[in-house]
Amino acid sequence: MAISVEYVVKETAGNLWRNRLMSLAAVLTVAVSLSLVGAALLIKQGVSTATSQWQGGVQLLIFFNPNAPTSEKHSVAVQLKQMAEVKSFFYVDRAASYKEFKRLMANEPDLLNAVTQKQIPPSYRVVLKDPAEAPALGKIFAGQPGVKTTEYNFGAIKTMLDLSSIAQAVIIALALVLLLSATVLIFNVIRVGIFARRREVSVMKLVGATNWFIRIPFMLEGLTQGLVGAVVAAAGVLGLQSLFNYAINHFGVKLLSGFVVTSSDVIFTEIFVLAVGIIVGAGGSMIAVRRYLEV
Amino acid sequence: MIRLEGVSKSYKAGPMALNDINIDVERGEFVFLVGSSGSGKSTLLRLLLREERPDVGRIWVAGKDLGQLAPWKVPYFRRNIGVIFQDFRLLPNRTAFENVAFALEVIGKSKKTISVQVPQILDLVGLSDKMGRLPSELSGGEQQRVAIARAFVNRPLVLLADEPTGNLDPETTWGVMRLLERINRTGTTVVMATHDVGIVDSMRRRVIELDHGAIQRDQSRGIYGIGV
Repeated sequence: MAISVEYVVKETAGNLWRNRLMSLAAVLTVAVSLSLVGAALLIKQGVSTATSQWQGGVQLLIFFNPNAPTSEKHSVAVQLKQMAEVKSFFYVDRAASYKEFKRLMANEPDLLNAVTQKQIPPSYRVVLKDPAEAPALGKIFAGQPGVKTTEYNFGAIKTMLDLSSIAQAVIIALALVLLLSATVLIFNVIRVGIFARRREVSVMKLVGATNWFIRIPFMLEGLTQGLVGAVVAAAGVLGLQSLFNYAINHFGVKLLSGFVVTSSDVIFTEIFVLAVGIIVGAGGSMIAVRRYLEV
Repeated sequence: MIRLEGVSKSYKAGPMALNDINIDVERGEFVFLVGSSGSGKSTLLRLLLREERPDVGRIWVAGKDLGQLAPWKVPYFRRNIGVIFQDFRLLPNRTAFENVAFALEVIGKSKKTISVQVPQILDLVGLSDKMGRLPSELSGGEQQRVAIARAFVNRPLVLLADEPTGNLDPETTWGVMRLLERINRTGTTVVMATHDVGIVDSMRRRVIELDHGAIQRDQSRGIYGIGV
């Protein structure tokens, strides 16, 4: 049996309009909670880009001149191997460094175009047994042949990582509470809708409307609320991204300069936000329909 | 058309609603179900509609073994069964036409079919001039006619009626009964639960009397009986 699209659209729109205040509350709650989820994801992605060179507990970076001969790099490696303070280290070649550079500078196309892979320094990434040793070691290697520069500003990076994980945890916790209330709100809107239409529903059952025919308009109603909220949140995420970029460019915060949210990060976040919106909307209405529309 | 074999049904609270019921109704029969309130008439109708299932026993309606009927098939089964009630159960915010059309719409009939069938059936029940009226603008008898139109528009094999004249005055009652007789003459099996002694006695159809959930009497061309 074909379910007519016209009927379903008409019923769903009718239900939404009848419950418009409740629907609005549900939509706004979904929007706010998913905006928070989106913000947390963007912060996570931005921080992970900004700190990508420092991932895996790296506390010291030794950059070589782009054209430094292998022998000079080898001599650094030999010294690193002998040092008791060094826990481990690994080499990042020009190609990998260039990829990283492109990601870090995604917001600055002029710079990206000006720099070629040949100009990018390869590096050793060093993990120490005690991070406090980083400055001392950095100074040792700074003047050696072939070494361009060393970086050991790990303290600031760690603060940033810690702050961002606290921020993320708080935001995600808030978002979860709000998502739960959004689900409950949608559940309630649908329940009220089913109650308001109980006469229609009982007649439909009587004359042999299929369960899905009765259910679909209610489920679509919840789904629409979730989806509309998610679309609002998705727009909010885009706004947030440009706000980040504006803040970075405008205030020129040095630490944040690598805080880049690429467009693929944003696309992922948007898809995630929309998917959660759909799940919340469909979930809330599904529970209501299962509980109050048993045939 | 309808067959019950050893059907019993009880509810958590209270005595047995139906106790070992055996009934056989042929196609095209007109059957009155009589008995005092709580004798099990309504329970029996609910079982026939498969709104409920018996504790024991088997039920066949319109060729379907209701015990074997998968839940998803129940709506399709119900399309062969028309039902009317004492309280009409019309949708108050829809006109006579829309009430009947709704029944067709929700089983997926096309607009075209609806626009042909609804005026036809409303004409059959004598309401072709009141199609645009809301239930509140119709008399009780007219509302019941709309309900009958809605129940009959799919040409069901069986029409179940639960006290359909309970809210109507005697004169209107006869109008409704004549309509049910007409429907019955088209070959539709009618099962009607009623308290109305006058109707049962003058129509002289098959009468099944229930008492405390058991069949007290099953009589062709019967009357309502004594002591009621």
